[in-house]
Amino acid sequence: MEDTIFWSRLQFAFTITYHYLFPQLTMGLAWIIVYFKWKHLRTGEERFGNAARFWARIFGINFAVGVVTGIPMEFQFGTNWAEFSKFSGNVIGQTLAMEGMFAFFMESAMVGAMVWGEKRLGPRNHFLATVGVALGSWLSGYFILATNAFMQHPVGYSLAADGSLRLASFTDFLLNPWALIMFLHNQCAAVVTGSFVVATVGALYALRGKYAEQASLFLKTGTLVGLIACLLVAFPTGDQQAKMVARHQPVSLAAMEGHFHGGTNVPLNFIGQPNVAEQRIDNRLYMPDALSFLAFGHIHAQVQGLDDFPKDEWPTNIELLYYAFHVMAGLGTLFILLMGIANFQRWRGKLETSRGLLWALMLAFPFPYIATTAGWMTAELGRQPWLIFHILRTGQGVSEVVSGGNVLFTLIGFTGLYFVLGVLYLFLIGREITHGPQIVSANGQLEGSHD
Amino acid sequence: MIEIWYAILSFMLVMFVVLEGFDIGAGLLQYVVGKTEAERRLVIAAIGPLWSWHEVWLVSFGGVLFVAFPTILAVSFAGFYLALFLLLWCLLLRGVAIEVSGLIAEPLWRAAWHVIFVGSNILLAILIGAALGNVVRGVPLGASGKFSLAFFTNFSPGGNVGILDWFTVTCAVFILVTFAAHGATALVLKTEGPVHGRSRRIASFLWKAVVALLAVVTLETWQVRPELFSGMTHKPLAWLGLVGVLGGLLMVFTSGSSKRELRGVIGSSLFIAGLMIAGAASVFPIMLYSTLGPEYSLSAYENAAAGHGLVIALIWWPVALIFAVGYFLFIYRHYAGKVKPSTDTQRPY
Repeated sequence: MEDTIFWSRLQFAFTITYHYLFPQLTMGLAWIIVYFKWKHLRTGEERFGNAARFWARIFGINFAVGVVTGIPMEFQFGTNWAEFSKFSGNVIGQTLAMEGMFAFFMESAMVGAMVWGEKRLGPRNHFLATVGVALGSWLSGYFILATNAFMQHPVGYSLAADGSLRLASFTDFLLNPWALIMFLHNQCAAVVTGSFVVATVGALYALRGKYAEQASLFLKTGTLVGLIACLLVAFPTGDQQAKMVARHQPVSLAAMEGHFHGGTNVPLNFIGQPNVAEQRIDNRLYMPDALSFLAFGHIHAQVQGLDDFPKDEWPTNIELLYYAFHVMAGLGTLFILLMGIANFQRWRGKLETSRGLLWALMLAFPFPYIATTAGWMTAELGRQPWLIFHILRTGQGVSEVVSGGNVLFTLIGFTGLYFVLGVLYLFLIGREITHGPQIVSANGQLEGSHD
Repeated sequence: MIEIWYAILSFMLVMFVVLEGFDIGAGLLQYVVGKTEAERRLVIAAIGPLWSWHEVWLVSFGGVLFVAFPTILAVSFAGFYLALFLLLWCLLLRGVAIEVSGLIAEPLWRAAWHVIFVGSNILLAILIGAALGNVVRGVPLGASGKFSLAFFTNFSPGGNVGILDWFTVTCAVFILVTFAAHGATALVLKTEGPVHGRSRRIASFLWKAVVALLAVVTLETWQVRPELFSGMTHKPLAWLGLVGVLGGLLMVFTSGSSKRELRGVIGSSLFIAGLMIAGAASVFPIMLYSTLGPEYSLSAYENAAAGHGLVIALIWWPVALIFAVGYFLFIYRHYAGKVKPSTDTQRPY
């Protein structure tokens, strides 16, 4: 049993982490493409049309990998977490079914036409299809986050006579305050990823001295959208998310912060290594009173420490949780700084010529992915040892009939497939970026531009 | 309420098998009907930009099974663990092949992806056929209310069975040939030129094989689950399904002329839908039949989700369905008619 739990957790963690690399770009980039298409429709300027076409090709590859890696996620609820599905299907089945019915049908109908159907659909309907893909991807995000929010902060349920969960209030469940705040936080982070990627490609073209018009457009759009999104990720959405954790999962907050002993005027740790055995942070740099203030609004607030809770309720991997949270928060702060400088240079009219800044923007694209991954690790490790917080422990949710050997078999299969998929993805995206944005020639044919 | 949700689930599975059956069938014939690179691209263009919309019927089927019959989902998904992951991997490879094979105009690139495409389609047809066979034959559910299936045990369809035995293998072959016939029939409608001609010839051969295999599968089902046929007599929906099967076959075999291409596709879809409806109606209310003893079988009545969740889902489900069909029509009207290399194959460079 123990090995089934271990391999099933590892398989879910691996497949979901890998999967989410793609939808975050989908959700962020979709609205940027909508913006380009809208500008093209309004102004008729071909640079917007070309920008939309270029990003739609990248989007198409990204979306395809997102779809094919997403389908296994839905099925793993049943295959690897059968007891959890049986126990809570009455409640979380609602949002999982709604995701398929409302969001996936919408996205899947529109995306092929969005990527390949500009000629078939004509400008207006093609714009509508693009909006449809963007809306569908955000809708899908909400339903899956509402499912996760129930696991973090269960509301709207009751216990049935057979011991399983039953839906008590559909609206309470669907409009879980945790879901609303997490959705805003997560979606802003997806826009950060999208805008960083757009700015990165703009910086690459600017440094290479190619496609000057598109480089400037990508840089301006990417850095402006990026700054707004970076600010929103931190405040108010990130701040509210942290306050929610403080209120409903105080033990997770204590572990995230490496806060072992409860008290008032609690400091905020910036850097340091948690030493769980000795219950302290080594080499720490901190700001006095800041955690009390951030979590509860005043510097004298009492913040519970890990030792205020029984040990069997502590998150199971405190060190990793601590690092995940600090990597996310630290990177988020650096993003604001980078995008702030970029917008300052843009205001001075020097965005396209500041080589140091362009280098930083060009190399920045992996970090939003790292930050979002760390953010999700914070949420999911913080929830441990519970599958549904304070209701079902993780080990109780696993499939009893599936042997550890079977799970390891499929985990190895996924590792191999996803490795090949990753190489393929990087190759194809690299190829699109090298090929560059297309221009429209005099006779209306689409051609590669080789200036 | 439980009957409605069973019907909704059956409907979604029928939609998946009919739509995806076309994609899989056309796909696995890619090398048979397409002799040149351009002709093979045309097969993928005929499957069109809506292939993932077809696949969503399976994903949404899973979602609705989750909300309506969570126990059935939990027991069957865990029980069919390895087969389900094989299915997922095939869907994954096939989706990637459709999306990326056209991106690079390089013969080696195309050949590699087309082989993956054909291979995963063949395996998908076999897996779907075997899965349907398993539902008809039953699974080794014991007193614990759980089961776990190996790929094979001793190939006997009774007692402690595996996913593959001589009955489910026959089902798999039957579905493979049926999907191929269905796909060829639809390719007749969607293409012109040499692909059209080859599809027409192979379709007329395949449909004869379908009829022969249907007779074999029917006889074997009689051996494995005789009570299904006796139970059918007082189930009007099962009779309706049989009418669909016969009517569909009639339409297929009278669609020879070029003016009747659409009739062939409707008939072919009707044949598959009729078979599934007859099957779903005759096994009801048992959703998972036990090969170890009928008392262990899992019934829809005892395993449906309780409470008012199903009432709420019955409000949003039709709304979502109307939207889903709306999106389909919004896109499909731009893609109706024969596919043309000039507008429908991806622009590679």
